Amino acid sequence: MKKSGSVEGPGKQGSGKPGSGKVANGLVAMSCAGVLAVYAAGYVRTRSAAEQLDAQSVERRVAQDAPREESARAEVRPGENRQEERRAPESVPAASDPREIAELAPAPTVSNAPSPAPSHAPAVEVFEPAAAPAPVAVAPVAPVAVPVVSAPVAQAPVATPVPEPKLVAVSIVAPPAPAPAPPPAPKWKDGTYYGWGTSRHGDIQAEVVVAGGRIASATISDCRTRYPCSVIDRLPPEVAQRQSPEVDYISRATQSTNAFYYAVVEALGKAK
Amino acid sequence: MPLRTQIAMDTLVSIHVVRAGGDVDTAMERAFGWFHEIEDRCTRFRTQSELMQLSAQSGVAVPASTILYEAVHFAVTLAEESGGAFDPTVGHKMAARGFNREHRTGEVVRAAVGVDGDVTYRDVRLDPERRTITLLRPLTLDLGAVAKGLAVDAAARELVSFEDFAIDAGGDLYLGGVNPEGEPWRVGIRHPRIEGELITTLRVSNQAVCTSGDYERRGAGSDHHILNPRCGTSAGSVASATVMASGAMLADGLATAAFVLGPREGIALLDRLGVSGLIVTPELERYETGELPHAA
Repeated sequence: MKKSGSVEGPGKQGSGKPGSGKVANGLVAMSCAGVLAVYAAGYVRTRSAAEQLDAQSVERRVAQDAPREESARAEVRPGENRQEERRAPESVPAASDPREIAELAPAPTVSNAPSPAPSHAPAVEVFEPAAAPAPVAVAPVAPVAVPVVSAPVAQAPVATPVPEPKLVAVSIVAPPAPAPAPPPAPKWKDGTYYGWGTSRHGDIQAEVVVAGGRIASATISDCRTRYPCSVIDRLPPEVAQRQSPEVDYISRATQSTNAFYYAVVEALGKAK
Repeated sequence: MPLRTQIAMDTLVSIHVVRAGGDVDTAMERAFGWFHEIEDRCTRFRTQSELMQLSAQSGVAVPASTILYEAVHFAVTLAEESGGAFDPTVGHKMAARGFNREHRTGEVVRAAVGVDGDVTYRDVRLDPERRTITLLRPLTLDLGAVAKGLAVDAAARELVSFEDFAIDAGGDLYLGGVNPEGEPWRVGIRHPRIEGELITTLRVSNQAVCTSGDYERRGAGSDHHILNPRCGTSAGSVASATVMASGAMLADGLATAAFVLGPREGIALLDRLGVSGLIVTPELERYETGELPHAA
């Protein structure tokens, strides 16, 4: 151990050996092995599983009565949406917090940095624009170890309205259920039930109230998605109208739609 | 020269590939995909994540995905190696001190179980044959640092064929190959006390660099987000700990451990593992390992 700096301290070499030391280089080796294992197995498997899930939920829709051309579009949509939805928040903090803009503004102190695409403020650049240009000239887009991304960012996405996606119903599914023929037995037990549905960008909890064996209402009781649940505002009433979790899809909100669907399915599962 | 930024894991992630070519867009998209995939599994901030599902059960062997298993495996091994200075079972203590908000929604996530105050990494058992994880007592795992590092490393593997690239995930960096000028990347290490200044600049190629600082994220009061698992309060004798290693998971985990251990023990741990690092105390004393490649 070498110590540099202003103040000399009493050096107690080797005094602080934590742990046993017997797995010393094992830690380095196992971290590499762990990354390899994840890379080799994890992504492929989880990715395909996630896509399967998307495919299934699209099928569920398509199998019903979507017009053929609509179904063809629906099949490609989830993938596209995922990318779009992921990309969307890039601009969010920058737009919401002027201070962040200042901190993340394109490389003012790194004069020789190749200028990045204007819309992508490089997070690697953390020098304050006002600060004197570091003469050490941290060269082209030298990432700095600790960006100034701190607590404010944690809240930024919350308060930030995501650019309102244009809502388009992909298909008008299922005419309102015909007045139910007197059922042999009520399908659901009366009560208030909750269920969770999950998506790649957050979870939704649905509250379903069953009265007289029928769905009296469904609401979103907890919205933990990255986007405001207002994008799927029109879906909850459909559950009671149709007496079914089979709600419409909303274009550009397929993930939220699916999460809501599965939340209702789970809630109704508890009502049986 | 593609450069892209996304938000994941409560921070900005940017990826910079020096030379465009081939299917760079797809590769970058896949690289970002890792952050979302690993966050989905390992976040403490969503009750439905695989991590929180695991944390909700104790005394049961729970089968784990490869991502979760490897992340917990590394975390527990590092905990052993650092004598508990790094401990992934501090989750409930972090939550108790206010680090419990999901960054995307602001929702407060409460642990579903009562947690003993004195749980440690020894309460986590791994079965390498059956790939299961058993929590011997109710506890909440926190894989924050490990998960982010793992995502950086996995993303780096996606980009290996492009040779020269940089990944920055809120201070977890991996630098592949050389910069656009054909030289090793220069990484400035932020001064822990003076805004806008650097404490040093390192020359890095095909290595990860991570810094744990006491100035990154604060809860209520003056707490910062690195806890000393041994006493439950924030670690005190280090202002920032920087580690340079073959991967970001290793570098981030060791930076966190070194931060908690303090300058002397921290540097001793890095030396023993053959990893380079620099620790700065609040009094701005600098402690470092041998071969730290300062830029001239």
